[in-house]
Formats: sequence, C-alpha cells, structure tokens
Amino acid sequence: MKNPNQKLAVAVDDLTVAYNYKPVLWDIDLAIPEGVLMAIVGPNGAGKSTLIKAILGILDPIAGSVQIYGKPYDKQRKLVAYVPQKGSVDWDFPTTAVDVVTMGTYGSLGWIKRPGRKEKKAALEALEKVGMLAFKDRQISQLSGGQQQRVFLARALVQDASIYFMDEPFQGVDATTEIAIINILKELRKKGKTVIVVHHDLQTVPEYFDWVTFLNVKKIATGPVKDIFNDDNLTKTYGINYKVSVQK
Amino acid sequence: MCGYFREITSINLKFKHIDILKYIELVFTDYTLRTITLGTAILGAICGMLGSFAVLKKQSLLGDAISHAALPGIAIAFLITGTKDSNVLLIGALVSGLIGAFWIRGITRNTHLKSDTALGLILSTFFGFGMLLLTYIQKLPDANQSGLDKFLFGQAATLLVSDVWFMAIITFVCIIVLLLFWKEFKLLLFDPDFTKTLGFNTKFLDILITSFIVLAIVMGLQTVGVVLMSALLLAPAAAARQWTNSLRVMVMLAAMFGSLSGVLGTAISSSQANLSTGPVIVLIAGVFVLISFIFSPSRGLLFKQLRLIQNRKDLELHKTLTFMYDIAKNHHNKSHPHTIKILNNFQGFTKKTLQQLEHKNYITVEGQQWAMTEKGYEFAENMYNQQMVETHE
Amino acid sequence: MSSAQIEIQLIASLVAIACAIPGTFLVLRKMALISDAISHSILPGLVLGFFITQDLSSPWLIVMAALSGVVTVILVEYIQKTNLVKEDTAIGLVFPTMFSIGVILIAKNANDVHLDIDVVLLGELAFTPFDRMMVGDVDLGPKSLWVIGIILSSTIGLLIAFFKELKISTFDKGLATTLGFSPAIIHYGLMSVASVTTVGAFDAVGAILVVALMIAPAATAYLLTTDLKKMLGLAMIFGVFSAIVGYWLAHYLDASISGSMTTILGLLFLLVYLIAPGKGLIAVLYRNKQQRIEVSLLTFLLHLNNHSEIEERHINHLNEHINWRKVRAKFVVDLALKNNMVTIDEDIISLTEKGRIFTEKAINYIISNDPTEIEAIKEDFFLFRG
Repeated sequence: MKNPNQKLAVAVDDLTVAYNYKPVLWDIDLAIPEGVLMAIVGPNGAGKSTLIKAILGILDPIAGSVQIYGKPYDKQRKLVAYVPQKGSVDWDFPTTAVDVVTMGTYGSLGWIKRPGRKEKKAALEALEKVGMLAFKDRQISQLSGGQQQRVFLARALVQDASIYFMDEPFQGVDATTEIAIINILKELRKKGKTVIVVHHDLQTVPEYFDWVTFLNVKKIATGPVKDIFNDDNLTKTYGINYKVSVQK
Repeated sequence: MCGYFREITSINLKFKHIDILKYIELVFTDYTLRTITLGTAILGAICGMLGSFAVLKKQSLLGDAISHAALPGIAIAFLITGTKDSNVLLIGALVSGLIGAFWIRGITRNTHLKSDTALGLILSTFFGFGMLLLTYIQKLPDANQSGLDKFLFGQAATLLVSDVWFMAIITFVCIIVLLLFWKEFKLLLFDPDFTKTLGFNTKFLDILITSFIVLAIVMGLQTVGVVLMSALLLAPAAAARQWTNSLRVMVMLAAMFGSLSGVLGTAISSSQANLSTGPVIVLIAGVFVLISFIFSPSRGLLFKQLRLIQNRKDLELHKTLTFMYDIAKNHHNKSHPHTIKILNNFQGFTKKTLQQLEHKNYITVEGQQWAMTEKGYEFAENMYNQQMVETHE
Repeated sequence: MSSAQIEIQLIASLVAIACAIPGTFLVLRKMALISDAISHSILPGLVLGFFITQDLSSPWLIVMAALSGVVTVILVEYIQKTNLVKEDTAIGLVFPTMFSIGVILIAKNANDVHLDIDVVLLGELAFTPFDRMMVGDVDLGPKSLWVIGIILSSTIGLLIAFFKELKISTFDKGLATTLGFSPAIIHYGLMSVASVTTVGAFDAVGAILVVALMIAPAATAYLLTTDLKKMLGLAMIFGVFSAIVGYWLAHYLDASISGSMTTILGLLFLLVYLIAPGKGLIAVLYRNKQQRIEVSLLTFLLHLNNHSEIEERHINHLNEHINWRKVRAKFVVDLALKNNMVTIDEDIISLTEKGRIFTEKAINYIISNDPTEIEAIKEDFFLFRG
C-alpha cells in the first residue's frame, strides 16, 4: 500500500468467521500486494488456516468480503492455487503421485471433461520440477512426509495460478525438502506470483519471506518483514513477552 | 403369487442333489433361476461400486444404520397400503431409512453425542420399532403374515422379473452418473477442501453419491435383508481395495466381487432348504475379504510378514557387515585378513551369516580368517552413508 | 397382574439395568458400536457352545458366547491395527460375517438346536417364566431371573470396586497410565462385562435390541447430565421405565415385548433430544440464534472500534461493506443502541464509552482465552454461554 502503483493481489475487508457461531476471526482487514512471499504467523488457534479457508470460499464468513485482483473469488478461481494442510486429505486413498498432481488441472477443465494428454504432460513436468518424477506411480501413503508435500506443491504448480495459498507446507518435512520448497516459492515470486504461506517456525521468517501478517483472532500487523517483524508485534501476537532471536 | 412360491419350493427340492454343471445349465434354461441369478449379480455389482465410495467416504457404518432404519418403513408401508408389492414397501423403506440418516446427522451436529452413539442408537431403536410393527402385523387377524419377514435376512427367490428390470435400470443410471462425474467424485473423496476451491459444488456431488448409496441399500433389502445389507456394501469394496492403488480398478474389482458373492450366495442358498440368501451372500463376501487381507501381494498380511522376516534377516547380515567394515576401515588394505575370533564378542554373528556374506561375495573366508572384498567394502560404506542420511531426516 | 407378568417385568428391568451400566461407559468411551459388534458375534459362540455342551442352559454356553464376544473385539482391533481398511469398516466387516455364520449354523441345524431366527432377533422374554429353576421339588423362580440376577450383581460389584479406575481411564487415559492403572486391563475388563451382559440379555431381548438397551438409555442420560454417577443412575431409570412401559405396550398391542421396549427407548430419546435443557434440539437452535446475533453485534462493535474514518461508520456503509447477508443490519444496530453501546449522529455511528470498554474486554477474552475474564463479561453480556 506504500507503493500506490503496486496492484493488490488479495484484499480482505472486515472479514469475520465463526465455527458454530463461535468467532474465530474478527474483523480482519488485509491488503496483500502482488508479488510478495508472505507468511501468516500466530499461535495455535489464532485462525491462520481459517483465514485462508475463508479467502478461498471453503468456509462461509458471517461478515466481510474478499477480493482477488479486484473481483470476488468466484470469478477469479483460475488465478488461485491451494495446498491444503496435511491432515485434510485421505492418505490411504487409492491414488498415485501423478494422479494427485493431475488433479491440479481439474479446475481449468471444469465439470465432466476428463484430463487428456496435455494435462498428463503438465503433471509430469510439475513432478519433475519438484524432483519427484521417479516416484510418479507410488501410492501417496508410501511416500515420506517431505515427498508428499512435494507432490502437493506440484499439484499447485500445475494449476498455473497467480496466487498460491499454502497451509503449513513445512509441517513434517525434512530439511532438504524444506529448502527445495522454499526455493520453488522464491522462484514463483521472481515470476511476479504472490505466495501466501501459513507458517509456524518464527526463526525462518526473515530468511524465507519478505512480507508477514501477524494474526491472533484479529489482525495484529501486516507489512514487510524488515519493518514489522519485531519483538513488539511478536509479543502482541503471542502474549507474554515473546522474544525471538532474529538473525539479521 | 401363491403359485409363484410353489414353483420356487419345487426348484428347491430339485436342487437338493444336483451337481454344479447341472446348476449352471439350469441358470440358463430355468426362467426363475435365471431371474434371481441375474438379479443378485446386478445387485452385487452396484453394491460393490457404490460401496467403494461409501468406504472411502468413511461412511461404512452409515449404511448399516440406514438398512436397519428401513425396517419400520416397510412395516408402515404395508399397514397403510395393505399390499406386499415390493416397490411400494421399498418406498417405505427408503423414507424411513432417510429419516434415520438425517436424524443421525442431526444428533451429531446438534448435541455432544458422538457419531458412534448416534449410529448405534438409531439403528437399534428403529429396528426395534420395526420388529414391534412386524410382530403386530403378524397377529392381525386378516394379514397374510408370510412375505414381510423376508426383509430380515433376504430371500432372493422372491425376486420378480420386474424387480430385476428396476435394478438394472438403476444400475445403468448409476454407471452413467459415475462415468460423467468420475473426476469430481474422486476429487471430492480424496480432498474435499481442494474440490471446493476449484469451484465444484461439493454439496451437490455429496448428495448425488449418497442418494445412490441409499438407493442401492434399499434395493438390496429384499435379497440380502436389513440385518446384513451393509456387509454387501462394505465387503467387496474392502476386498478390492487390497489389490490395487487405482480407484478405477478398485471400483471394477469391487463390482466383480459383489456380483460373484451374489451369484454364488444365491446358488448355495437356493439349493438348500431353510436358508436365507443374506447370510450366505455375506459369508461369501467375507471369504473374499479374508483372502484379500491375507494374500494381496502389496498389502496382504502374509507377504507383509514374509517381508518383515526377510528384513530382519537382512538387518542381521548388515549389522555383521557394518561391524566388519568398522574393523576393516582402520587398515590400509581393505582386504586385510582378520581372525573369525574377533567376531565372537559380536552378537549378530553366526556361522550362517558368515556363509551368506561369502555367498554374496562381500567377504572371503579362508580357514579361521576372513577378509572383506572390494564389493563388500563398497556396499558397507554405502549402507553407512545411507544410515546417516536417514537418521538426519 | 399375574405372577408371570410380574416376573417378566422384573426380568426385563434387571436386563435393562445390567445393560445400562456397561452401556454408559461404552457411550462415554466412544465405543458404542462395539456393543453392536459383540451382540451380533456372540451368536456363533452360542451355537458352537451348544454343539459342545448339548445343553442350552449350561453356564458354559454363556462363557463360550461371552468369549466369542471378546474375541470379536480383539479381531476388530487387530484389523484396525493392520491399516488395511479404515477403522469403522473393520467393525462393519467383522460382525455381519460372524452373525451370518451363526444364522447359517442355526438354519442348517434347525432340528437339533432349540433356537430359531425369531429368538435371535427378538429374544423370548414372554416365555421366560416357564423355564423354572428347580432344586428338588422347590421352585426358585424363573431361570432367566437367576442368570441375569447373577450377572447384574457381579457387574454392580465390579462397578463399585473399580469405579475410580473406570472413571479415570474413561476420561483421561494418559493420567490413568501414569497413576499405574493399566487402561488395557480396564478396557478388556469392560469388554468382558459387556460380552457377558450381552449374552445374558440376548436370551431375553435378542441380538440387535441388546444394542438399544446398552446405548439408548446412556445416550439419553448423557443429554441431561455430564456427571458420571448421575448418568449411570438416569440410564438405569430410563432402562427400567422402558422395560415396564414397553411390557404394557406390547401387552396391549399383542406384539413383541423387546420390540416395544426399544420403541419406548427411542421415543424417550426423541423427547429428551427435543427438550433437554441446554443440550436438546430446541435449546441448541435457540442458542445458535442468540449466538448468531451476539457474534454479529460484536463484529459490528469491533468494526467501529477498528475504524475511526467517518465513511467506514456511515449507516449505509454497513450493508455494502461488512456485507451483512445473513443478519439484518438494522436489528444489530437497534440492539447496540438499546444496550447503549453506540450513538448515531447524522447517520454516523460511534461507539460509546461503554461500547468501547466492552469491545476491548471481549477481544481480550477471545485472544487470551482466559476463563477469569469471561466471568466478568458474562455479567453484562450473554455471549459465550456454554
């Protein structure tokens, strides 16, 4: 917002979300400029995943609105890719890695139409990109945590979107995969894409991201990491004198 | 109707002492037998297909609750209309099955009772109410009591050609719908949140597939009965899941297992007096499950156990080799011979492991001395590095 | 009332109490469906036991049948552990198969076994007074009364002896382990009691209706209380009530006693489900409606608190900006006005001092989740009840 020429990728206005009428997110305003790599941080139960789910229309807000490049989400679906949290999928499902990645093309295919050769090719390319081509025919539960996450990243890449939402992509992932994933995310940013990540590890925020949102039921702060990632905001978000040894 | 029943009993008598070939011949020539065989085959197929979705939706036991909850509907439909026309009774079954299903949903959503309590509660109380009505009907002065209790354990022999046509049409429609929305159903079952973000109407898809599952349950009541119907839904799907990691293959296999259970179950029960079809079909489906659980190559318990034993053996071998590697790497010459005695204070070592290692050309043994080969050294070194990486992960 | 009628009601009541005790724990442990599995799978045990003992009233029969119940539980747990199928599928596979074996065994040996399918499903409560316990020439009452009486008294004995252990292991498995009670022993103990009770009740009310007697009274009681002792007591009362009312309903309709007992249980549950204070459907729907209003009101106040800009606080802005589709904006504004939380000046809404303090308190509570703060808020507002 400091640079008025920069387009807004996501604009959230007075968003309130409740589960069973118990409020989880209250009156959130958020303006995410195009081309940032942003972390959403906050304690457990702060509503980080809920925020993403509400933006993506998985949850219905009780008040407020969301716009993607100036239009409601319904009209801009094809600009958005999503990597859900690990627990939300059925790992024992009879499906293989390449199958899962192909699912990324379903959105652009629309109802009834089946994926063809073009979609298969795109899926294989994405698998190659995340270094998982050798495992393409594995059933997904037979992959390690890191490999599973790479497959889901590949699925998002296949969506070929402008904005990527990821819910804790580094959860249960080995160090090599974490670096591989963050490199791909940085590459996406270089291409002008916007990447929004629910993140847990505060230590790595300054290293990985250039934009950050502090969230705890309501928005605490949002902006460039170098400006707002400080002890003051951390304490406001996490309560009692939270200090993190930030490596600058 | 009465003449029809007599015909069936006469077939039952005929079957008592015939062999399989004759039976197969009869299936093609005898009108009644052909009808019921075709009926159970179609029923098994549709149950297998839709059962795959029910199992993957984690709604295995909802089917059980719905089928039990259908019983009072059958009785009430009879009390209102006074007819035993199976289509009318099945509409009653459908309605009360759906009421049961919605009530379960209401209980889990609005109270703190968990789904297992809601399922058990609805299935047992609805069933009890149904039994109350059935016993009441039996004692009504003008009611012909035979006929309704076939819905408890199923009687394939009471299937009429019109019933089979109805099943065939529903199955046909079901296959068309599955083919049309295949991609969407698969996505919905695997990752519902993602499905929603792509703009698919998940509520519509969910209602569509659930309606077909309920329809399949109700269709099966006459053949398999309310008590055991859910097993025909689950068992073929559970068996099929063991053989493949592809949803398409799983659904086809389940349809096949279901059909086979239906046909074989009908054959056995109709060739024996006094045997309902339901338990026989379920038992055969259970045998498919058992075989699949044990003998499936990738997931089966037998091969898993064999692999476990193999792994344990390999581990022992590797342990000995690592121990040798630790000794050998301190020497310039990797193949420097050592006495076997050094190994004695190492527990994983036996004469046999030594022989196996030699057989794999990892070491050479000469008299009381062993020495590592180049190949053995390399292998051990690789293993060592791999272990480092794994523990690091 | 004839003495046979009294005896039937007595037996039915004892069966109901004996089922309510393990049933309560099964419901609390989220294992209600295990009772379904047990009740179905004792059937092959019963039939096999009969083949061995050739005596339907042998106590060994009860032991065999109960054993097959416990074996089923172990089998289900084993299949769950293999991860070959999902958890609920394991139950759904095992018990129909076991039950089928039982039904086929009975059907194939219909002439030898004095059991038929009707008895399996409905029991034969009506006939229990005819099977007497005789010592010499002395009539000691119906045999079933003795069987269920012994089962019930040992269940009560075990309940009193292990109440503390049962309670801890039900509500806090981790704590139970650290205190040195093995949850596994309690678990299998409970399964054994459930199996024995099921076998004892099977004779009287049949396979599927045992499940109703175990689950329904406990579930109904659970809607009314969360206190374990009260829940046990209520479950027993509901069980006995259904036994006696069910008997007379069956008498009047000339229909199955166990079917009508279950029907009464179902109706009782329906009644409580609708009107239970706090947890019943009507109370829940009412509370949901209240909470929706509360959340809307607070959202509105919070919005005012967050924005000092005049255009964000204009009354017409509410509709388009906060996007109230589900709540009538006017209603919320009126509510806020009535509570002196806001003032309206030329269509611009501002928070009053009271509204501001309240909003901050509320948000503090939600962020900190501190239960002491909620107490203070409860006083001046109705949010967060329950």
